Amino acid sequence: MMWRSGSSGGSDRFEYLQTLVTEFQDTDSDEAKEQVLANLANFAYDPKNVEYLRELQVTDLFLDMLTEENENFVEFGMGGLCNLSMDPECRDVVLQSDGIRLVTNCLSSRSEETVLSAITTLMNLLTPVSRSQITDPAILQCMLRFSLSESPRLRNLATVFLQDSCSEEQVAQAQQQMEGQQTAVGIPLPKD
Amino acid sequence: MAAPVNSSSGCWRVPEVYKHHEQRRVCISRPKYREGRKAKAVKVYTINLESRYLMVQGVPAIGVMTELIQLCALYGAVEEYRPLDEYPAEEFTEVYLVKFQKLTSARAAKRHMDEKSFYGGVLHVCYVPEYETVEDTRLKLQDRRSYVIRAAQKRVREREQKEDTQEEPSSSETTTMSDDNILTHKQTSGNDNTRETSNVSHYLGFPPLPLPPQEHHHRPKSQHLLTEDKMGTLHNTCAGTLEQREGSSRSKQTLSSRQAAHQAAAVRFLPRTTHLEKRKRKMEEAEEPSSTVSGQNEPLIGPKLPEPSKLDMEDESLNTTVNLIRNTMKQVTSSPDIKPVEKKVKPRRRI
Repeated sequence: MMWRSGSSGGSDRFEYLQTLVTEFQDTDSDEAKEQVLANLANFAYDPKNVEYLRELQVTDLFLDMLTEENENFVEFGMGGLCNLSMDPECRDVVLQSDGIRLVTNCLSSRSEETVLSAITTLMNLLTPVSRSQITDPAILQCMLRFSLSESPRLRNLATVFLQDSCSEEQVAQAQQQMEGQQTAVGIPLPKD
Repeated sequence: MAAPVNSSSGCWRVPEVYKHHEQRRVCISRPKYREGRKAKAVKVYTINLESRYLMVQGVPAIGVMTELIQLCALYGAVEEYRPLDEYPAEEFTEVYLVKFQKLTSARAAKRHMDEKSFYGGVLHVCYVPEYETVEDTRLKLQDRRSYVIRAAQKRVREREQKEDTQEEPSSSETTTMSDDNILTHKQTSGNDNTRETSNVSHYLGFPPLPLPPQEHHHRPKSQHLLTEDKMGTLHNTCAGTLEQREGSSRSKQTLSSRQAAHQAAAVRFLPRTTHLEKRKRKMEEAEEPSSTVSGQNEPLIGPKLPEPSKLDMEDESLNTTVNLIRNTMKQVTSSPDIKPVEKKVKPRRRI
C-alpha cells in the first residue's frame, strides 16, 4: 500500500498514524518499536497532528514508555511528551495521568536528552493548579544542581526553569536547604 | 557542592564535540509503508535539540566562506557567523558556526543543506543549541509555546465554527475572540510570557468541548462530531445520517472495501423504509377498532373489515404500488384454496 507521506488530507494522515500505533502494539521487535516510537514523537512536533495523536491515545503511550527498561524507549517517549505537552489539551491529559511524578523520575536518567525533555515538559505542565507540585523543593534543588552543570544545554534549561517557574524566594529557600543538608542525597547529573 | 563553571559569554567559547553533532547511522530496516523518500536515522527532534545556531562541517578549505554564507542566507537572515577552527575537522575541510535570526530559517537551512555537495565536498549540518545563551533558550521556548497555543486556538475556533453552523450560534465565539485579545496582549510583554501564557492557556482550555467517547476514536474527529450532532436529530433528517454513514464507510474502506460498499448500499434504502414504516404505523392506528390486526402485506383471514380509507402515500409510485397490492389481495382472497408449498425432498449424498 502506498502512503503519501506528504499528504495533507486529514483522514489519510490519521489512518497513517493509526497504522503506526497498531504496528507498535503488535510487533515483538524492539527495533521496530523504537523506529515507530521515534516516528510518532517526531509527528508530535507538528501541531497539525496533535489532535489525531491525542485521539489515538498516543499521549498515554508515551507516558507508558517512561517506566520501560529500554533507555531508547524512555528517551523517545519523553521526547514525544515534550513535543505534545505544549498543547493545552495534551497537557491536561498528562496532568490527569499522574504525569508530573512520571516525568520527574526521568530527571535522574543517564541520558541527557531524556533529562532535557523532562525539564521542558515540567515547564509545559505548569498551571495554577500544578505549580505547587512542580516547584516542590526537591525539584528546585535538582534544578539548582543542573544549573551548575558542565553541559551548557542543561545549565540553560535549568536556569530558565528556575527563573520562570517560581519566585526568587523559593529558589533561595531551596538553595539554603541544599547547603544545610549533611548528605548529598539527590539526583545525580547525567553521564553523557 | 560542585564548583561553579566559568560561564564565558556568547558563542565564542571553545567548542566540545557532543553526541548530537554526530551523524548517526541511517536506518535500513524500515518496512516499506513507513519508508520515507530519503533514508534517515532514528532520532527524535524536540525544541531542545533545535536551535538558531547551526554548525556546518565538511566545507572544502578553498576559501569559500562567503559562498557558504550566501547559501545560508537563502533560507533566512544570518545574524553572525565564524569559522570554528578549534573544532575537530576532516583534512582539507573547515567547520563554521552560523547564527540565524529565526529558528525557522535554521530549520530550513539544515533540511536543505545537510548532505548536499558543496564545491566538491559534502556538507554536514547540525543544530548546536549549546551555543545559546540563557536568554536565547528562553526566547526559543516562548516562541515555540505561543506557536503551538495559536495552532490549538485555531483548532478550537474551527471546531466551534463547525458546531455553530449546525446548531444555534452560541456565545463561545465571543469568548474565543476576547481570549485572542488577551493572548496578543500578553505576547507583547517580555519575560512574563511563559507564566502568563500558561495561565491564559489554562483558562483557554477551560470551556472545553468534551472529547467524544473512546470507542469511536478510529474515526476522524470532524466526522465524529457530525455523528454526535446528528444523534439528536436522527429521527428528523435521514439525509444527515446518510452523510455520516457514508463518511464512516469511507474511513473503513482501507479495512474492507467490500464491507464498506455494502454498508453504503444498504444505507441508501434507509429513508424509504422509514417512510413506509411511518405509514404502516399510521395505518395500524387507523385500524385499531377492528378485531383482527393485519398489515397490508398479509392475506386477509377472518371477517372482512370495512374498506380501509384510501391512504394517499403522497408519492405517485408508492400510490401505484399500493393500488397494485390492494388489487392483488382482492384477487387472492377471492380464491379459497391456498395450496401449501410442497418441499421436494432431495436424496442426500453420502460423503
